[in-house]
Amino acid sequence: MSADTSFAKRSNRAAILFLSPALLFVFAFVAYPVAYAGWLSLFRWDGASMPVFLGAGNFVRLAGDAIFWQALFRNILVALSAIVLQVFLALAIAYCLVRIVPAFSRIFLFFYLVPVMVSEICIGLLWRFMYNPYFGLVNAGLSAIGLGGLKRGWLGESETAFTAVVVVMSFTYLGLYVLLFVAAVRNVPESVYEAAEIDGAGDFRKFFSITVPMVWDAVRANSLLAIIGSLKTFSLVFVLTNGGPNHASEVVSTYLYKMGFGSFEMGYAAAIGFAQMVLTALGAWIAFRYMKRIGAGAGAWS
Amino acid sequence: MTAVRRWNLTSTIVLAVLTAHVLMVIFPFFWMIYSTFKTNREFMRSVWSLPKSFSLDAYVGAWSGGALGGYAVNSLLIMAGATLITVVLATLAGFALAAYRPRWIPAVELSMTAAMAIPAYVALVPLVVMLRGAGLLDTHLGVILPTAAFNVPVSIFIMQAFFNTLPRDLFDAARMDGASEWKIFLRVALPIARPAMFTVAIVNMIWVWNDFLFPVVFINSPSRKTLPVGLTDFVGEHITNYPVMLAAILIAAIAPLVLFVFFERQITAALIGGAVKG
Repeated sequence: MSADTSFAKRSNRAAILFLSPALLFVFAFVAYPVAYAGWLSLFRWDGASMPVFLGAGNFVRLAGDAIFWQALFRNILVALSAIVLQVFLALAIAYCLVRIVPAFSRIFLFFYLVPVMVSEICIGLLWRFMYNPYFGLVNAGLSAIGLGGLKRGWLGESETAFTAVVVVMSFTYLGLYVLLFVAAVRNVPESVYEAAEIDGAGDFRKFFSITVPMVWDAVRANSLLAIIGSLKTFSLVFVLTNGGPNHASEVVSTYLYKMGFGSFEMGYAAAIGFAQMVLTALGAWIAFRYMKRIGAGAGAWS
Repeated sequence: MTAVRRWNLTSTIVLAVLTAHVLMVIFPFFWMIYSTFKTNREFMRSVWSLPKSFSLDAYVGAWSGGALGGYAVNSLLIMAGATLITVVLATLAGFALAAYRPRWIPAVELSMTAAMAIPAYVALVPLVVMLRGAGLLDTHLGVILPTAAFNVPVSIFIMQAFFNTLPRDLFDAARMDGASEWKIFLRVALPIARPAMFTVAIVNMIWVWNDFLFPVVFINSPSRKTLPVGLTDFVGEHITNYPVMLAAILIAAIAPLVLFVFFERQITAALIGGAVKG
């Protein structure tokens, strides 16, 4: 037996040994529960008495559940707003920090990251003060600039609750993307900018024709991160509005929580989570194929 | 490297706009800090002004008036347990992903990436059933195990990114000397990996400390609640005294902020390392 195959055998065995604790652990507490959710979604169950087998009953009910579809739609809106208000805004800020005011980039980055570090519960509680209908800063600010007529209870009214939550989200997670883009923008070689400067390019030109294409991989990766994060969102919505008033700011996670642990419809709650996962996986697959086509057309896909 | 740029009108405008923006982002935190030094009466008179007096009553009220100390201890225990499990498993697995490349490794990486994308709430109902069956519902361990599991995939990638930076010769030299793979991990890889493990530990501490979904669902007993969950109870009970409420929020927020101030470099490196792979 040659040394090569014996090392291959040896490394195969070592890899299995070193990986198996983590894999077993993730299997037991992530993969297995997700599959189990698929099984539980076939039952009507209050969490205590005997489960009643429904077959596809929960999914039939789900298909006609307007609250679920609206919640899922809101998750998608959160994702779209995150791509614009977090990812693209962060890219512009990162360009400014690295290229225009580099001396201040560290201190700005530090402050942008503060909300990323703090618990979403704390942030949500603080923003409840900002939005307070009686003494909130948002209303006080509107009065100060002569728009007192627009004052309202932002989190308590159906028309504004969801938008108010999205605003808090965009402030809270922005810093993560600023950090990631600062790292990416710093990697663009100086010589490329110098060549553009000789041609007389200003900051706008440099941003759109050098920085954006050069960090496009990071834009794609960060957008994906923002989409995944948006589908996971729970704590901020829970503490700000708990999906209310009257489901006006409901997202999938808060609806699942209410169904499972408010109404004790465990089977239905499992179905909500399972359906959300399958639908987003499907959406991701379609988006991936679509993006690949565009990317291939533009020659940007690597 | 960025060349030194001439300061011009654009720089001034950009600096002004960014300053205004960052102030909006962090104003709630500034406001929280200075408002805790007010008395409730001063707060009610003018909610947004800076404090005229310097009173620590709010902190005394927050600490004595509630169970915050107990919540903090619970958070600390869960944080320590989950972080320990995650760091150990992620170090072993991250080393394996970087050091060995059997054909099936990409499949492992793909499944870890998929696990990172799964929202924790999908597993919520089954986890309750599983934990109840194991007698772990309403215990710290019942929160620790799933919390650690959901943080393992991203932590593996951070560790793998670190081990990838090490030269292969390092391990080959030890192999020539007849060391077993376990010895190579223990004697060669582990000592150099300490800073990376520390980095993974710090970000996990922040994530676990701030986590809300698992503790709020899995724990019922007030004496076992974590700080973010207990805080929502506390705020409900102290609705009339705003500075006390804000002091409680500050107490819950302070641990991650202190970690961030001291370990900014490690934390930002971990976030970049984890995101690039994800």
